[in-house]
Amino acid sequence: MAEGLIVRSLRDGSLPGEHAPALCLEDSLTPPLASHSHAVFRHLLTSLLSTGTGTAVVLVAFHRSPSFYLSLLSPTFHNSIRLLDCYSDPLAWKSNHHPPPSSHSPQNITLLTNLNHLPHFLSSILHLAKDFGAQGHDRVTVAIDSVTHMLRHAPLPSVLQLLTNLRCHEKISSLFWLIHTDLHEPKVISSFEYISTMIASLQPIVQLPDYANANISASITSLEENYSKAKFNVRLKRRNGRVKLLCEELLIEQGSVKFSSVPSVSSVVAQNLIPKVQFNIQLSDKERMDRANVVLPFEHQGNGQNIEIYDGRRSLSESQKDPSSIKIGGLSEQKRSNNNKSEKGEIHYIRDSDDEQPDSDEDPDDDLDI
Amino acid sequence: MATGGGQQERPTRPSSFSRVSSSSFSPASSSSTSTSLPPGVRIGANGAAFVSSGIPDLDRILGGGFLVGSVVMVMEDADAPHHLLLLRNFMSQGIVHGQSVLFAGPTKEPRSFLGTLPSPVVQKEGLKIKHDVSDVQDKEKGLRIAWQYKKYFGEQTAVDSHNRDKKQEFSSDFDLRKPLERQLLNSQNVECISTQDAFDLSKLQNHCLTFVSKLSMKDGINSNAGRIAIQSLCAPQCGYFEKDWDMLSFIRSLRATVQSSNAVAVITFPASVLSNSISKRWQHLADTLLSIRAIPDKDLAKLLTGYQDMLGFLHVHKVAQFNSQVPVILDASTYSLKLQKRKSLVLERLNQAPVEGSSGVSYATSGSCSSSKGSLLDF
Repeated sequence: MAEGLIVRSLRDGSLPGEHAPALCLEDSLTPPLASHSHAVFRHLLTSLLSTGTGTAVVLVAFHRSPSFYLSLLSPTFHNSIRLLDCYSDPLAWKSNHHPPPSSHSPQNITLLTNLNHLPHFLSSILHLAKDFGAQGHDRVTVAIDSVTHMLRHAPLPSVLQLLTNLRCHEKISSLFWLIHTDLHEPKVISSFEYISTMIASLQPIVQLPDYANANISASITSLEENYSKAKFNVRLKRRNGRVKLLCEELLIEQGSVKFSSVPSVSSVVAQNLIPKVQFNIQLSDKERMDRANVVLPFEHQGNGQNIEIYDGRRSLSESQKDPSSIKIGGLSEQKRSNNNKSEKGEIHYIRDSDDEQPDSDEDPDDDLDI
Repeated sequence: MATGGGQQERPTRPSSFSRVSSSSFSPASSSSTSTSLPPGVRIGANGAAFVSSGIPDLDRILGGGFLVGSVVMVMEDADAPHHLLLLRNFMSQGIVHGQSVLFAGPTKEPRSFLGTLPSPVVQKEGLKIKHDVSDVQDKEKGLRIAWQYKKYFGEQTAVDSHNRDKKQEFSSDFDLRKPLERQLLNSQNVECISTQDAFDLSKLQNHCLTFVSKLSMKDGINSNAGRIAIQSLCAPQCGYFEKDWDMLSFIRSLRATVQSSNAVAVITFPASVLSNSISKRWQHLADTLLSIRAIPDKDLAKLLTGYQDMLGFLHVHKVAQFNSQVPVILDASTYSLKLQKRKSLVLERLNQAPVEGSSGVSYATSGSCSSSKGSLLDF
C-alpha cells in the first residue's frame, strides 16, 4: 500500500496551484541496504514509465552511466525517458582535452559538464522537459539519481533552491531523488525532508545482535534475511496537514523488488506523541438530557409501573416478577417471610440535585445537624 | 537648540504606550488615556501594552495578546504548514486595525501570500449586547469573591468595564475561507520582501530598521503600532542558510530595534533544519515561544476527543512578561488547533477520550506525562 500510494502520487502530480509532490528516498550504509535503496529507485522509475499513462521522465544520472538505465527499460519506453548525463564527465576533463564528437550520443542522452553552475543545470533539465511537451507528454517527472553527488559540486542552499524551483515549475508534475544519509550532517538531511512531501527510508528487518549477550549463532543466520528483505518506512505529508506513517516489507528477488504489507505498529507512535491531556468532566447538552432521562434502580420496578419506593412488606411472588427488586432486597425479603414479621423497611431514595456540581461541597458532612 | 531637539527624538523605552498609562497611575481611570491609544492596542496587566494576535483564544492564553516591543517566535513543524495560519491571522488583524505591516517570506513573490489573508467575521448586533449584559453581572460577582479565587474568573476583573466595550474590536474572529478585501491590502502600510535569493540578511535588516523608524516618526502618543511578520527565517533554500551566526546576530538586532519601538515581530522558523545548539540559541532569543506540531493521521483517535477536527497541536513554551518578576504559569501548555465551522481558528485544551473497559492502554498513557521524541515538551 505504501508503495502504491507513492507511485500514485508521483504519477498524479500536483493539483493546480500547488507545488509538485517530491519524494526523498533515503539511503544508508547499513549492509546491505545500500543496494536495496537503489533497487527501490529503479523500481519506481520502471513503474512510473511502464503504466503507459503518458508520464515522461527526465533522469539526471550521476551515479551510473546512462546506458545502464536504458538497459533496464524495454525499448518501447526509450522514447519516454530523457537522460541528463552527469556521470561520464562531471568535471569536464574529457571535453577540455578532446571536444566531444557531436553525433556519438544517442538521441535521448544529453551530456552535461558544467555542474558548478546550477542555473545552467536547471535550464538543461527544463529544456529536456520542454522537449517532451512537444511530443505530447504533459506530465514530466524528474528523477535525480543522487542528490549527494550534486552536493559535491554546489552548496546546499543552491541545490535546495533548484529543487524548489523545479517543484514550482508548471512543466514538472512530480519529482523524486535519492540521498545517502551517511554522507551528510543531520541538518542537511532534515533540510531535504523539509522541502519534500514524502519521505521513504529503509531499515533492516533483523537488527544486528548485541554480541555481548545474545546467542550469536542463531542470530547470525537470521541476519541472512537482511539480504533479501527490508522494512520500508514511508512518511507522507498530507494536504490536510496530517502525517501518515506507513511501514511495509520489501522483498528483493534477483534485482526486482516486491512490496508486501505488514501490520502497522501504531501504539508505539501514539505513546510518543501524546501530550498532557485532561479529562473532560463537563457534560455536553445531549449528555445532560440523557442523564436526566435515566431512571435509577431504586426508582423503578422494572416493568413499566409508576415509580414506587420499594416496600419491604410485599409478598414473595410479586417480588419475583420484578428483577430489580430481587437484585436489591431479595435476600432480606426471604428472611422476612420466614420470620413472619412485618418489619417496615423502606428505602427512600432522593436523587441529588442536578445543579450541584460534583465535589462542590468542601465538607460533605456540613448538612448534618448535630 | 540642538541638544533639546536631540532629547525629543530619543526613542521612549520600552514602549511609549506603557509610559502613558503609568503616568496616570491608576488602571481604573485609564479610560481617560485609552482614547489616545491607537486602534488595536490595549493596556493589560502591569501597565503593559498588547496587540492582538488575531486569534482570540491565543490572546487569552498568553494573558492579553502579544506584548508590544516583543519578539514572538514560532517553531514550525517540517510536516505541516500550520504556522501559516498563525501568521495569516496576525497580519490580517494588523491590516484590519490599520497598523503597518512588514512581511518577509522565502518565496519569489511574497505579495501572493497576502492574497490568502482572511477577512474578519462580521459581528451581529445581538451578540454584542448580550456580551455587555453579562459583563455587568460578572463585575458584581467580582466584588464578592475573595482575592484568591479571582484566578477562576480569568482576567475579566482586571480589565475595567470601559475597555470592555472595545474588547470586541481588539481582536476579531477571522473567516479563513474569505480573503481580505483588495483595497486594504494595497495601502501603503503593507510591505513585502523576499528572502529567497538574498545571500545575507543585511537587506532585510535595513528594511526592518526603516520600517520601525517610520513608525516613531509620527508624534509621540498617537503613533501607530507596527507588525513585522517573517516567515521561515532559516528556510534551507535561502542563500544565507549556512551562515548560522549571521542569522543569530540579525535576530539580536531585530530584538533590540523592536524593543524600543511600538512594533511586534513574529518570526517562524523550522527548528528541525538547524543544528541543536543553534536551535537552542534561537529559542532563547524569543520573548514568547510557541511551537506547532503535526499530528499523525489516525493513531491518536482513541486517546483524544474531537480528533477528527484537529489540525495540529500548539505548544506554548515561553510567555513574555513585562514589568513583573512573576513568571506566567499556564495550567495547560498544549492546545489543539481546530477550525470551528471550517472558518475560524480556535484553540482548545486537549481532552482525553473516554476510557473503554476492555483496553487498558489509554489509561496507562494518560497517567504518565510522557515526553515526545526529542522535542521540547516538558511538564
